[in-house]
Amino acid sequence: MSQAVVQVLAAVAFAGFAALLARRLRLGLEREIVWAAARALLQLAVVGALIAAIFRVPALAVLFVAAMVLAAALTSGGRLRAVAGSRRHAAVAIGVPALSATGLLLLVGAFDTTPRAIIPTVGILIGGAMAATTLTGRRLLEGLREQFDAVETRLSLGDDVRTAVRPVVRGAMVTGLVPAIDQTRSVGLVTLPGTFVGLVLGGASPATAARTQLVVLLALLAVELLAALLISTAIVARLTAPGERVVLPDPAPDETGDRRPWPFPWRRRGGPSG
Amino acid sequence: MKSVLGIDWESRRRGRLTYDRPVTGDGPRGLIATDVWLARGGRDVLRGATLAVPPGAVTALIAPSGAGKSTLLRCLNRLLEPDRGTITLDGVDVRELPPRELRHRVGLVGQAPVMLDGSVRDNLAYGLRSPLTDDAAAAALTAAGLDDTFAARSAQELSGGERARVALARAVVRRPAALVLDEPTAALDADVARQVGATLRSLAAEGLAVCLAIHDVPFARAVADRVVGLDGLPVPS
Ligand SMILES: Nc1ncnc2c1ncn2[C@@H]1O[C@H](COP(=O)(O)OP(=O)(O)OP(=O)(O)O)[C@@H](O)[C@H]1O
Ligand SMILES: [Mg+2]
Repeated sequence: MSQAVVQVLAAVAFAGFAALLARRLRLGLEREIVWAAARALLQLAVVGALIAAIFRVPALAVLFVAAMVLAAALTSGGRLRAVAGSRRHAAVAIGVPALSATGLLLLVGAFDTTPRAIIPTVGILIGGAMAATTLTGRRLLEGLREQFDAVETRLSLGDDVRTAVRPVVRGAMVTGLVPAIDQTRSVGLVTLPGTFVGLVLGGASPATAARTQLVVLLALLAVELLAALLISTAIVARLTAPGERVVLPDPAPDETGDRRPWPFPWRRRGGPSG
Repeated sequence: MKSVLGIDWESRRRGRLTYDRPVTGDGPRGLIATDVWLARGGRDVLRGATLAVPPGAVTALIAPSGAGKSTLLRCLNRLLEPDRGTITLDGVDVRELPPRELRHRVGLVGQAPVMLDGSVRDNLAYGLRSPLTDDAAAAALTAAGLDDTFAARSAQELSGGERARVALARAVVRRPAALVLDEPTAALDADVARQVGATLRSLAAEGLAVCLAIHDVPFARAVADRVVGLDGLPVPS
């Protein structure tokens, strides 16, 4: 067997094992695991082909980046769909920091202005911003529900909404940033992150790989913090009603499950949509 | 008239024009909710609820559990907004008042009051527009049935009944024109409840519009001048 075939088979075997174990433990996650794995397989195959095309026609890179932001916004916004307009807000929270950071890095000449350099970098930044957006947004909604008595108490004592929800927002942003901070702090000790691995596998010197990884990791800190701030601000604004009131959304019925994956946002199973 | 909490309520009321906006309309004094409808979670919780809380009296609101007492009380300081109906404070629609001004004038002690981080004193001082004096803090605590040693205690480690009383003191210390309390005595023993009842009576005697939602009917009859249901009508004994 060629190495390509072995690679794919090994990957499928791992996913199958995870699905079986999840089923055995009755986590109710086996469908999600299989679905996620199938998506990864399909998406990576398509992306491989697409990127090959982009390397030939660099102008396609713009479209590709736009598609990445859109996909991230739909994924993250879907997790936050209890909030009206969540996908739009996620698009801003993800796109603005990730694209500005990429622009800055290109502007100062930290990366070459070639698809080969830009696409992976912007992909990592968008991915990080997406994770921070989802995590912060969900924690904010949970926190507001859990601590609604405290929010009402502060409002009753004369706070405006922004002040009344500030402790909840802070907590949510901290939660949203923990992965980025841990990843940065443990880099090289616990994980060898994607950029480094990719560059080394691609034949770059470890020193070059480490330098590039450092830039990406530290940029991620700023990008994710900004994403967390943007999504929190948007959610708080959405939940603020005239008269310094906070109106909590009804929880989306399947808020925890990815049952409306982004390629099929219309595939709804019951309940109102966000 | 003897002042409560070292505050001269009468001149404070006369001094209303010192507020940012005039808040006295032509309508009836006190807090009035008229024909309030409110749906929550797709269900009509309030169906034409009516409540009059005149100044200078204690009004007790009695209704079965789940009937919507807490919901109505939240409307009074605009934590909730009715779908239909009006709420007025001294004749002015509460929607006309700046929300934070309204909430300074209508003190609401919720059914599950939360102690904010810090000491009891920090809680009393939270959001006050002028610095809290030790005298005012001690007076508010005393009125709520606590001694002034509580000021320095950490608010998070208080018992349920102590929290209820700090919440009352926290509302009283901001000198509201109306005081709205949701089950203020639920966590209190009979003696302390009586003491709180006496405080509410003296606050009303100084001109506050006092309203409490309460399950304990005998207590309501002992403390309140009027005992009413959600329809605004007196509850027959
Ligand atoms: N956020 C909400 N969403 C949906 N329904 C709610 C919400 N809050 C309260 N309700 C419902 O509104 C009804 C009235 O609630 P409310 O808390 O006003 O009752 P209450 O008269 O204060 O009861 P109790 O005496 O037990 O405190 C209840 O049936 C409750 O389930
Ligand atoms: Mg209640």
